[in-house]
This record gives sequence, C-alpha cells and structure tokens, in this order.
Amino acid sequence: MQLSKADLLKAYRMMKTIREFEERLHVEFATGEIPGFVHLYAGEEASAAGFCMHLDGRDRIASTHRGHGHSIAKGCDVHAMMAEIYGKKAGLCGGKGGSMHIADLDKGMLGANGIVGGGPPLICGAGLAAKMLKTGGVAIAFVGDGGFNQGTTAESLNLASVWRLPCLFVVENNGYAESTSSKWAVSCDDFTDRASAYNMPGISVDGHDFFAVYEAAGEAIKRARSGGGPSLIEVKINRYYGHFEGDAQTYRGPDEVKKLRETKDCLMLFRKRVEGATLIDAADMNKVDTEVLALIDDSVKKAKAAPKPTAADLLTDVYVSY
Amino acid sequence: MARSVARVGIVANPAAGRDIRRLVAQASVFPIAEKRNMITRALSALGAVGVNEVLIMPDGAGLTHRIVRALRAPLPEGQVWPEVRFVDIEPGDTAADTLDAVRLMVDDGVGAIIVLGGDGTNRLVARAAGEVPLVSLSTGTNNVFPSVREATIAGLVAGLVASGKVTRAEACFRNKVLRLSVNGVPRDLALVDLCSSPELFIGSRALWRADGLDQLFVSFAEADAIGLSSIAGLVRPISRRAPFGLWLDLCPLERASRVIRAPIAPGIIVDVGVETVTTLTPGAQVPLRLKRGVVALDGEREVEFAPTDQVLVSLAEDGPFSVDIERTMIVAAQHGLFVRTGGSEISAASGAA
Repeated sequence: MQLSKADLLKAYRMMKTIREFEERLHVEFATGEIPGFVHLYAGEEASAAGFCMHLDGRDRIASTHRGHGHSIAKGCDVHAMMAEIYGKKAGLCGGKGGSMHIADLDKGMLGANGIVGGGPPLICGAGLAAKMLKTGGVAIAFVGDGGFNQGTTAESLNLASVWRLPCLFVVENNGYAESTSSKWAVSCDDFTDRASAYNMPGISVDGHDFFAVYEAAGEAIKRARSGGGPSLIEVKINRYYGHFEGDAQTYRGPDEVKKLRETKDCLMLFRKRVEGATLIDAADMNKVDTEVLALIDDSVKKAKAAPKPTAADLLTDVYVSY
Repeated sequence: MARSVARVGIVANPAAGRDIRRLVAQASVFPIAEKRNMITRALSALGAVGVNEVLIMPDGAGLTHRIVRALRAPLPEGQVWPEVRFVDIEPGDTAADTLDAVRLMVDDGVGAIIVLGGDGTNRLVARAAGEVPLVSLSTGTNNVFPSVREATIAGLVAGLVASGKVTRAEACFRNKVLRLSVNGVPRDLALVDLCSSPELFIGSRALWRADGLDQLFVSFAEADAIGLSSIAGLVRPISRRAPFGLWLDLCPLERASRVIRAPIAPGIIVDVGVETVTTLTPGAQVPLRLKRGVVALDGEREVEFAPTDQVLVSLAEDGPFSVDIERTMIVAAQHGLFVRTGGSEISAASGAA
C-alpha cells in the first residue's frame, strides 16, 4: 500500500470536507432554517474516503439516510449538496429531495436512501449492469448495522453471490441502529460471521484508521473488478452525533463521544501518522483546512441566498414516461 | 507448590481470525459463537480438575455477552463449573484490553492463562504474562505459536498446572522471544517472526505480500509452519528449544542466492529471494537495513519507522512460559490422576494440591 503525497492530500481533503460539512450542518440545523431531517456522518469519514478513493467513473455507490459523507467522497458538488439540504432549486435534486435523497447519477452516486436497507438491492442492479456490459465497474452499498438486519440486505447478499456480481457490501457498524445498541439487536455479534453463509469473504476493519479501510477496500475492489465476486466488509466505526439532529442520545454514555473525539478521531489519527512518517508537512494540511472551511462557508451562504423551487417545479422529475 | 485456590485466566481475542487474509487468501474464519463454545468446553474441563475460579477478559464485541448467557443457562448434568469473574477493565476493543486484562490476572494470582487467538494474540499476552504459563489454542490466522488442540484438553492441562497437580517443572518450557527497540527504547516483541518491509503504513495490519520484504528474523522456524517463518523453516529448520534463532536478508528474485517457495499465509505460496542466512545468537543487536518502513511482528504490521529512527532487533531466551499440553497429560496419566481404583477418588478432580 503505497500512497503518493497527492493521494494523501486528496484523502485528507475528502475527509476534512465531510467533517466540516457535517459540523456546519450541526450548527445550521439548530437555527431552524433547514427543512426535514438530517443525519450526520461526522466521525465516520475514513470509511467513505477509504472506499471512494479507489473508485472512478465506472463505479456506482448506494448510500443510506446518513449519506452526506458518501456523496462528497464520490464527487458530488458540495454547493449543490448544501443547496439541496436547504431545499433550494439549485440543489442536486432541484431542492425537492433534501438530505435523505441526495443523488447524482452522473457521478455514480445512486442516492442517499430514506429506506433502511434500501441500498443493497440497487447495487445488485448496478453490479449486474457492470458485469453484463463488461465495464470493469464495481458497485458498493454502504449500509448501517440496522440496515444490515433488513431482509432487503439478505436478499441482495444472496443475489450478488449467486450471480457473482462485482459488489461490495460495506456495513458501517456505528454501534446503534437509531437508538438500539447493536449488542441487543444483532444475532451474530460480528457481521462478518454472516459472510460465509453467502459464500463470500467477510472481514472487519477499524473504521477510525483511514489506512486500514483504504487497504481492505482496495483488495475487495480489485477482487470484484477481476471477477472474483462480492465481499462483505464490516467497518467498525462511531458517529459523533445522534441518529438524527435533535436526538437527545440518552442511550449513550455521558463521556462516550468526548472520549471518541479525543482518542479515535480519524482526522487526528491521519495527521499524526503522515506527519510522524514525515510524508506531508503540517502546513500542507493546514492549507487544506483553510480552503475547506472557505468552501463550506461559501456553500452555506449561497444555499441560504438561493431561490426555492417554484410551484411549477412540483410536477417535474416526478413521473417518467417509458 | 501448594495453593489454596486454583485460579485460571482465559483471554479470547474476539477479533482473531477475521482480518484481511479472509479477502486476499482463503484463511479460515472463527465465528464468535465458536469461541464461546470453546470457552464453555474449557470451563467444563477446568471444573472437572478442581479449579475454583476462572478470570475472563471482557470484550465489547459480543463474546462476554455470549458467555454470560451460557453461565445463566442450566449446566449439563454432572458438570461443575468454576466461579467465573470478568476482570475489571473497560473494554475498548483494542490490543490494550489484552495487556490490561492479563496484568490483572497475574496480579490476582492465576496459575495459567488459556489463550484463544493466533500468534498476534499470544504475543500480546506474552508481553504482560510474566512467569505465568500459557496454554495457547489456535483461533487466528498464522498459527505457529499456538497449537490446534481441543479446548477441553486445554482446560484440563491449565487446571492441572494451576492446581499444582502437575508441577511447572514437569509441564512447562520457556520460549525464546525477538525484541524490538526503537531509539534505544524497548518497543515490542515477537514470539515467532519479525519482518521489515518498505510499506509505509500499518494499514490493515496483516502482511501477505512477499514483494519488498527486506529482512526476516525468527526465534524458531518449523518446516511445516504457515506464515513468514516458513521461509526460514524451509531454509534451515530450528526448534523452539534451540538456543539460537535465524536472520535472513531477503532480496528480489533476480539477485537471490536461493529462491524459497514458501506458504507465507493460508493459501498463499510464493517465491521469496534470500540473499544471506545468519544464525541469530541471544543478545546480538541487529540494526534494520531499511531507513523507512514498517515492522511486522508475528505476521502483523505493528511499528512504522522513519529515517530518524534507529531500529534494533535482538533474540532473548526469557520469553513467556508455555504449557506443553501433550507432556502434561502424559505426566497426569503416569501419576494416575484420572484413574480411580477401589474406593479412591479421582485425584485430578480434587481441589488445589
């Protein structure tokens, strides 16, 4: 696993952009200006970045209700995402989808998804298309620990295995399905235990460590691209905020998040590693920090100032004639 | 040695046997449910040889939860399990759990520790176990240090040693160990093999590619081993008890004085170029050739080093003690510990000796 300086800076920028996007939304949502629900991905950045750093235009991903991180990592425009979340016409879906329905098919982002376990069936379709058209593409479903208990996921694992599809099923296990601890709701304790039942390899990685995720993702993607079939990867991870903004999180320990931020922050760990190995100067990453903050700030200002969809927009993009 | 209470520790690594080698090779999978079953079988055996108390490392991955449920269920007829106590650590599901738990077990006077894991897990236990002997059961990937044995037998021998019915002198042997220091400070150890590689990051830990492997140090080398030590084992086998180890400088195939086809991971058999082979004597300090890279300990990348670091490797003879499972059971048989004659009791089943 050798990463160039440019690769390392790209990964850092990707994770930092996700973090600042979410931190800013946490503040802005409290003002009441943002319609609907938002589910923040802060704390989980190394997972989205570790996988999406390997992807290109051939590849497709399907996300969850917690989809901002995957969207940014797959290349969705930050300004258009922010406008979408604010419900503005300039948004990726014309402002009519909001946080949970951000999609950009041109970027291979098949959508955040309000349906828990809704992503896996989609990537079976994308994987089948890639296989039949011989594009060399792969399809990845990011699923939460709650979503991984859904029947849709079970059916998709089976289908992907039977058809030997170039698919990856990534369980981002942050320990809670909404507010229910996975310790109480997951029969097998460890999701990788389920992989062998579907005749595919399953591994666990530390989701706080970008390099661990990146390497595991690279091997699974290489396997899928070369016709080896699907894989299941459990990313053990933590979220910094509640299930949704406004969640009182009474189910978490008093200092749980504080401790996570102090000891397992993927950005902090990344910086420590690359600086320790004298691969990137702190100044280079500080410059990224400044640029990312400016980008997010600008995206919020423009989103707030942008016009809403008009009444005439209500019936556009709703029905398709075949 | 008489003990009033026979106490045994159990360390089961919930993460062992599920790393990236399931993806890049065909390494076997050890589900948590099977680890739970192994622990319950060991508990049955420990109870059968009169162990009073068992200390178990708690975890956050679900193994503790499974054991608690097993403890609440009715015991199989005729079985007596020891008291079970989870040692008082807050599991963070990292390597630190193992170190902390083993230290507490040693402080509490366990007479043996049963380890469920691979070479990596045993390496961690060895760092904190001091003089307490290990009964090592394989549930990992590269398993050279632990053996593939039935957990019931592991429970019996751990109990026999902890209760003093078979003495340490009869049952145990001491392992060699490879020590790693960085800038003059002891950093870590390896039980079987230590390898340097130009990879820049620890990443997903396992080392399964032969490309770029630079130097390999082994405390022992078995010709039938799996993992990096097999490279040395196929050049010059060295037993666990031999008073020396081996050090190989590796190189690209085209520059190699000999090429070894070695099983460096389950299902992965590759050609490795060997430049030189040198006997590694205890106490000699060998600096690494590479200026930047990672050091893998027992097959797992653990230490990243930069050009500013001075990294030294040495072999020592004061490694952890292991219980020789076969020998312990032979001694028990010779002493008739499991035999009842006339009205006598089964002496293996009595309390501490």
